[in-house]
Amino acid sequence: MIETGYMQVLAAAALAVLAIVLAKVKAIPVGKEIAFGTVRSFVQLVAVGYALEFIFNTKSFWLVALSVAVMTVVGAYTAAQRAKHFTGGFFIALISISAGSLVTLGLMLALRIITPEARYIIPLAGMIISNTMNAGAVTFDRISSDLKDHRLAVETALALGKTWRQASLRFYRNAVKAGMISILNFMKTVGIVALPGAMTGMILAGASPLEAVLIQVIVGYMLISSVSIASILAGEMAIRRFFNAAEQFVG
Amino acid sequence: MSCHNTVVLETRHAGRQIIKNGNAIRTVDNVSYAFNKAHIYNLIGPSGAGKSSLLRLLNRLDEPTEGEVRFFDKPLAEYPPTELRRMVSMLFQTPYLFPGTVRDNLQFCCCDLTDDKIGQLLTRVGLDESFAGKDADDLSGGERQRVAIARALSLEPEVLLLDEPTASLDPTSSQTIEDLILRLSEELCLTTIIVTHHPNQALRLGGETLFLVKGRLVETGKTEKVLKDPETELARKYINRELR
Ligand SMILES: Nc1ncnc2c1ncn2[C@@H]1O[C@H](COP(=O)(O)OP(=O)(O)OP(=O)(O)O)[C@@H](O)[C@H]1O
Ligand SMILES: [Mg+2]
Repeated sequence: MIETGYMQVLAAAALAVLAIVLAKVKAIPVGKEIAFGTVRSFVQLVAVGYALEFIFNTKSFWLVALSVAVMTVVGAYTAAQRAKHFTGGFFIALISISAGSLVTLGLMLALRIITPEARYIIPLAGMIISNTMNAGAVTFDRISSDLKDHRLAVETALALGKTWRQASLRFYRNAVKAGMISILNFMKTVGIVALPGAMTGMILAGASPLEAVLIQVIVGYMLISSVSIASILAGEMAIRRFFNAAEQFVG
Repeated sequence: MSCHNTVVLETRHAGRQIIKNGNAIRTVDNVSYAFNKAHIYNLIGPSGAGKSSLLRLLNRLDEPTEGEVRFFDKPLAEYPPTELRRMVSMLFQTPYLFPGTVRDNLQFCCCDLTDDKIGQLLTRVGLDESFAGKDADDLSGGERQRVAIARALSLEPEVLLLDEPTASLDPTSSQTIEDLILRLSEELCLTTIIVTHHPNQALRLGGETLFLVKGRLVETGKTEKVLKDPETELARKYINRELR
């Protein structure tokens, strides 16, 4: 792959066609979805490509901020879909994701790991937001289902004179840990089971493997920090929703 | 300690309405009653009558939506909830034991409980002292129930709220629990409010009986009177059916 252009993409589309043919032959009902996904991913990504080119070229701070804000809102909305049995999921997710991104990106800027340029901020924010979004969603999911399934355990503790925090502590901890588990697993297996996408992309685009690896390590540290912040905040704020000031379970 | 007739708990037009899927459900309806120190109260009534719901108002696990509940002549809201619940201890219909040993469960409320005290609590509920080291998961239904009672007693409460404590027990174990309740009210001046489905159990425990239907107190009075010569047709029918 020397020069990537639309011709190469068109040629690669043959691979998608191969998948469709296979699905047809084996009568697996995904042919339409593959076709749709092939077109859709092309359109979405090309649109994003043009948008990024535009943003990078204009060098406008506000445009960068706006794109990050849009990504954050969409991420918060998506995570909030998993907030069952309690209200305010969107705002909790918005605060958790924003804090996770702002703190980590802020630190990376302060430590001069990156410079305040769109070409760093936007892709890194995108990675942080999609990871914190997943962490928030998993934390929400776990808190909702654990507190619902273990209502008797929680109320038994309350009935024995424990505070809501004491009564729910182990479920809070489990939920926060669940939110972090996928990034923890990622850090354990990275490089052994699979090469991460960002690193692969850099190598394909011509960077030296060592340079790509160093960037990947930085990305990993950045993600563990942002995911920790987001999971803890999401868990902290979500679990409060199930109790009131009279130490009553109101979920 | 003197067990004179002070009012420990009192409900005044207490009621609770919950909204479920847009429908209003009244679980407790205008209940006014005064519970005296060291007495035993049997709470009877058909399934869904609101017996458990009423108990939950008494230790403020739920908030009444109408009226109020008072403990030693002060509204429940004037006590810190955690302290109130240590004085008004409650046992749920299905007892829950925390993961760990029986000892861990007994030390859940007061973690400095000595082995002597743990032994005492276990003997009280008719279990051998050797149970302390057993895993809570390995206990039978009746043993779990008794450990849960012992745990509630570890708080040395003023009032004990028991939701069908003998539902899963054989006659012998039920007898142990009944004897225990009778002894505790005498020895420790403990006030006991117990939900029961067995009129005969209520008769053995004596005290007062409250008959609840659809969240409302239909009939109250001395247990002998309510169970053997009820005033209302509703109570008479229910008791006869349960006795059969
Ligand atoms: N959280 C809740 N959601 C919906 N309905 C409820 C809830 N809690 C109680 N109820 C309803 O309130 C009524 C009273 O319930 P409660 O559990 O107090 O009855 P009970 O007298 O204890 O019955 P049982 O003898 O079967 O234990 C029932 O009709 C029940 O369905
Ligand atoms: Mg009940």
